Amino acid sequence: MPSERPAIEPIVTSYKLRFLDDAQLDSLREATFDILENVGVRFHSEKALAIFAEHGARVDRDSQIVKIPRDLVLKAMASVPRHFTLGARDAALDLPLKDGVTYFTNDGCGHKVVDFETGEQRASTKADVAMMARINDYLPSMAMSWTIVSAQDCGATASLHEVDATWRNNAKHYQSVTMMGERLCRYGVEMATALRGSAEEVRRRPPLSIIACTIAPLVQDKEAIEGALVMAEAGLPVLVMSMPTLGTTAPATYAGALAVGDAEVISATVLLQLASPGARVFHCILHAWADPRTAAYVGYPLNCRARYAPVEIAHHWGMPSLGGAFGTDSPEVASWQAAAEVATDPLLVGLAGAEIVTGIGLRDTYTLLYPEAIILDDDVYNQARYALLGMEVSPETLALDVIAKVQPGGHFLAQKHTRTHMRSAMVRSASQQLDEKGKYRDAVAYAREKVAWILKNHHPEPPSAEVQKELDRILAAADRELIEKA
Amino acid sequence: MSEELFEKLTQAVVDGEPEDAEALVEQALEQGIDPLACINQGLMKGIEKVGELFSDGRYFLPELILGATAMKAALEVLEPRLIGSQKREVLGTVVLGTVAGDQHEIGKTLVGTMLTANGFQVIDIGVDKKADDFVAAIVESNADIVGASALLTTTILEQKRLIDTVVEAGLRDKVKVLVGGAPVTESFAVEIGADGYADDAISAVHVARKLISAAE
Repeated sequence: MPSERPAIEPIVTSYKLRFLDDAQLDSLREATFDILENVGVRFHSEKALAIFAEHGARVDRDSQIVKIPRDLVLKAMASVPRHFTLGARDAALDLPLKDGVTYFTNDGCGHKVVDFETGEQRASTKADVAMMARINDYLPSMAMSWTIVSAQDCGATASLHEVDATWRNNAKHYQSVTMMGERLCRYGVEMATALRGSAEEVRRRPPLSIIACTIAPLVQDKEAIEGALVMAEAGLPVLVMSMPTLGTTAPATYAGALAVGDAEVISATVLLQLASPGARVFHCILHAWADPRTAAYVGYPLNCRARYAPVEIAHHWGMPSLGGAFGTDSPEVASWQAAAEVATDPLLVGLAGAEIVTGIGLRDTYTLLYPEAIILDDDVYNQARYALLGMEVSPETLALDVIAKVQPGGHFLAQKHTRTHMRSAMVRSASQQLDEKGKYRDAVAYAREKVAWILKNHHPEPPSAEVQKELDRILAAADRELIEKA
Repeated sequence: MSEELFEKLTQAVVDGEPEDAEALVEQALEQGIDPLACINQGLMKGIEKVGELFSDGRYFLPELILGATAMKAALEVLEPRLIGSQKREVLGTVVLGTVAGDQHEIGKTLVGTMLTANGFQVIDIGVDKKADDFVAAIVESNADIVGASALLTTTILEQKRLIDTVVEAGLRDKVKVLVGGAPVTESFAVEIGADGYADDAISAVHVARKLISAAE
């Protein structure tokens, strides 16, 4: 008997916060036009170069640098959809993108796991992907699923095995963080078609999307971009993610870093629109800092001003955005650093209005999984979600009659009004769970217990036997072609 | 006359001015000053000073890298002009590249710059290089160290393939393997049988030095 899952609880808010004014956003866009037209972007893909050449961009075959005139950028960007629906395996979990709603997902893509049973650190496997997909499926904070860790025991077809492990344990939309390259993405499209039954249904309710990472500064990876072209052609959404690092792969000034990151995202988006007009594309800039003494990747310096400016840049282009959150550099599951660095993330990204947000559940700068971390981060998420909900002011909530009844110096515990409202007045956080003696429990112990409970009790309905058989067949074919023959 | 020029050369490296360093060595060569003396009495003093300033916290990475870049720019002019059997004293030869399927260049290039500035001869074979390409370069340059960079969880296993290929080529006793890149860890390096691991360009220099002295 498959188990029920609680309803998804995205951040829903009518509040909006803007850090950049229109003039600043226009200047940033002009910077992107300038970079695209005069500096160009290197595409390590003959296929991409041919598409650009065909549409009138200036292509230098030797350097593989494409310079895209402003008119071509504008023409291509006119067909990017602002909103669309991310289909889920289960139609009830489809995510219609819209203003005022921010959907969260887990983090990705880690490669180390602190084993839930043994506590030993080891390389991640397909079983970890399956386990975390099941936990994600249960949590209301998780609107969709991301590749939290890579299935390193599956070799070259790991990304396909990750889809398989996720769909068997999770009925939400799945965004692959690792699927790259034309051949793997063709198998990905085949898996989506097996799930949906037809190419038309895949296009109508895409159950799968991928991220295509750029290489800063101003380079597009062959595998990422050619995989993205395959997905876009099939009507599956693509998220173009740039990761400029201030001082090393981007200027040490924030605006310059955003301009580099934006130019990377827009150049890939233009390509996808030229190849498949109307392709669903997310915009994402996950900027970071390089430590000026060591070049170490730093996600959270003290001065993260306008952290979610990239969301505003995306919206200025008329694109939906992924906001990056929860990327603490702490390797500990529950340190002060792990919580403090990310504490304002969900609040700010919700206020910025990002359509989707990653990523709960990893430590050590997106690389290390503690299965229980997702429960702790879920708490931080929910603090923001509640903070952004409005409050009710009414005679019942003002309770003036009760205040008058209690009089100065009295107490409210003996009031019927209190009996009615006290249970819901406070939602317990992970650190406010009671033990049998009525004392607050250790939050990590609570989180571990919750993980164990979900794993024991939550068993979402898997895809039909027919679909599972078809997925098995596709995986076997992929393994034969990409592992055995290679 | 030479002394004054050597001092300026030292200063160009300390100030991190590649154009000045290059112009100064051109000038030195025109004046018939010994190129090896330019290296030993000008550039080396400069890079040592840069190292000191970095170590005591006065210099940050950009100053360090610009100092190394100035040194490298001057070396590129001087090395082809060394007279007769003159040879720059090098600590060792390092073949450096990013593994197959991976286009990430910057980390590898920074490591190359730092190694060059610290007395190594660096053969940078570029990005997206197969294990065979690394091995061919090791054979051709008689390298002491091979350094392989990988930035993706999907490409780090190429570092193991490189080690296997080095073994198959019968070179494992002759060349030390140094690995690095964001997803690479010390334990992964040990697991695949690498000789050294560095998580940034500065520690790469320390590890390379250690590997060379251990080999000796």
